[in-house]
Amino acid sequence: MSADADRSRERSRPAGTSAGDGGRFVILHEKELCQRLVARDEQALVELVDVATPWLLGVTHAMLSDAGDAEDVVMQTFEIAWNRVGLVRDDGSDLVPWLLRIARNRAIDQLRARRRHQMKTQLIATLGGLDEDVTPATEPNEAAQPGWHVHETVKAAIGALPDDQRTAILLAYFRGLTQSEIAEHLAIPLGTVKTRLRLAFDKLRVSLATVKDWNL
Amino acid sequence: MTAHDWYVEHCVDFVTRTLDSGDETSFADHLRRCEECKAAVQSIERDFAWLPMGAPPVRPRPGFRRQILRDVLGDRQPAWRRWIVPIALAASVLIAFGLYVSERRESDRIARALSTRTGELMALRDSLSVMRQAARVLQASISMNGHEGGLLIFADDVSHRWNVVVHGLPPAPPGETYQFWFICSDGMVRGATVTSEPGRPVFLTLGMPAEGGTVIGAALTMEPKSNRSPEPRGKELAHMLL
Repeated sequence: MSADADRSRERSRPAGTSAGDGGRFVILHEKELCQRLVARDEQALVELVDVATPWLLGVTHAMLSDAGDAEDVVMQTFEIAWNRVGLVRDDGSDLVPWLLRIARNRAIDQLRARRRHQMKTQLIATLGGLDEDVTPATEPNEAAQPGWHVHETVKAAIGALPDDQRTAILLAYFRGLTQSEIAEHLAIPLGTVKTRLRLAFDKLRVSLATVKDWNL
Repeated sequence: MTAHDWYVEHCVDFVTRTLDSGDETSFADHLRRCEECKAAVQSIERDFAWLPMGAPPVRPRPGFRRQILRDVLGDRQPAWRRWIVPIALAASVLIAFGLYVSERRESDRIARALSTRTGELMALRDSLSVMRQAARVLQASISMNGHEGGLLIFADDVSHRWNVVVHGLPPAPPGETYQFWFICSDGMVRGATVTSEPGRPVFLTLGMPAEGGTVIGAALTMEPKSNRSPEPRGKELAHMLL
């Protein structure tokens, strides 16, 4: 493919995204995107919504097990992001992680506020891992999904954990259970839960250290 | 272990939100006062920044991205843009209602006019039928104040009605009126009051009086309006016998 064709294809994409080798899409120029958001550039918000929404829906849906509630949390997340984008670091490198953190915290707040743990625990009993949970259809072309390689890396890091630690991480981080709730759910001592989580988080910390930004 | 050590030990638990509610609140209070723990929390947040992406992405339903943008950017639209649609709808409803009321009034007016015209047409047809079936026609000329008029009677012996035409007379003077009389075998019987208009003949269709015996003629007089007597007292303008 000629350089001109490549440039033409590049221009046809939303600003802030680009295609790497093998059709991989990544967010480029996060700093520029962040600056445009601070400058109230609505097109920048359109681009951010475009690439981040599937991932925000992914984490909120995994935690809330309800499409409507997950959408509510994602909407709140973007409202907060639009109004407080000035809190992101100047280089914009933690823009997407910041959104993910807001979404996850909101989802946990909602879970606890609505006292849905009992229902959720019952639901968890019928579910398996992240790949066989209640999440609806993913993007049709997963490899083309921006951030897909981050997902693959995180998934591999979680998958490399021993079974008992992986279960504790899934319940704690992706189902929003506290240590006490996990102990109750698994019928094991609280101290055992703390140990498993401590070990698991230490390993993940090392595994995820290679992930520095959206563009792997 | 000091209290601070406990917080240092549970930094990861705070970041990942696996602490129970009470401990989480206590940790948040401590964080506002402890720069060391605040820095540790920020460092851990960076370490686990991408961990939420362990969940697979979910395809947004059609229209959800647009809904997000509408919700987030909606408040920044000028007020007139937010209200333009409801105002336009309200205006449309008001205009439609106004047109409906206006059309309804016009429709009612036309219906009333049509009813009046229909009544007049029926009366004219009836008058014409009397004229066409008249067995006798009586005519008398009347001169009054320089006007040349007359009294014309079409007598229908089948329906026992008279079609009376009064024409060419000036309006009656104030306090007086034209009065039509039947001349009967037992005396005069009051017929109808005639209201004359300049340039327009007056048409009357009269049935025969129930009293006074056989009708043998007719008369037209100018009577004071106050006269309620059964006999004419004013000036006689026309007098004719069958």
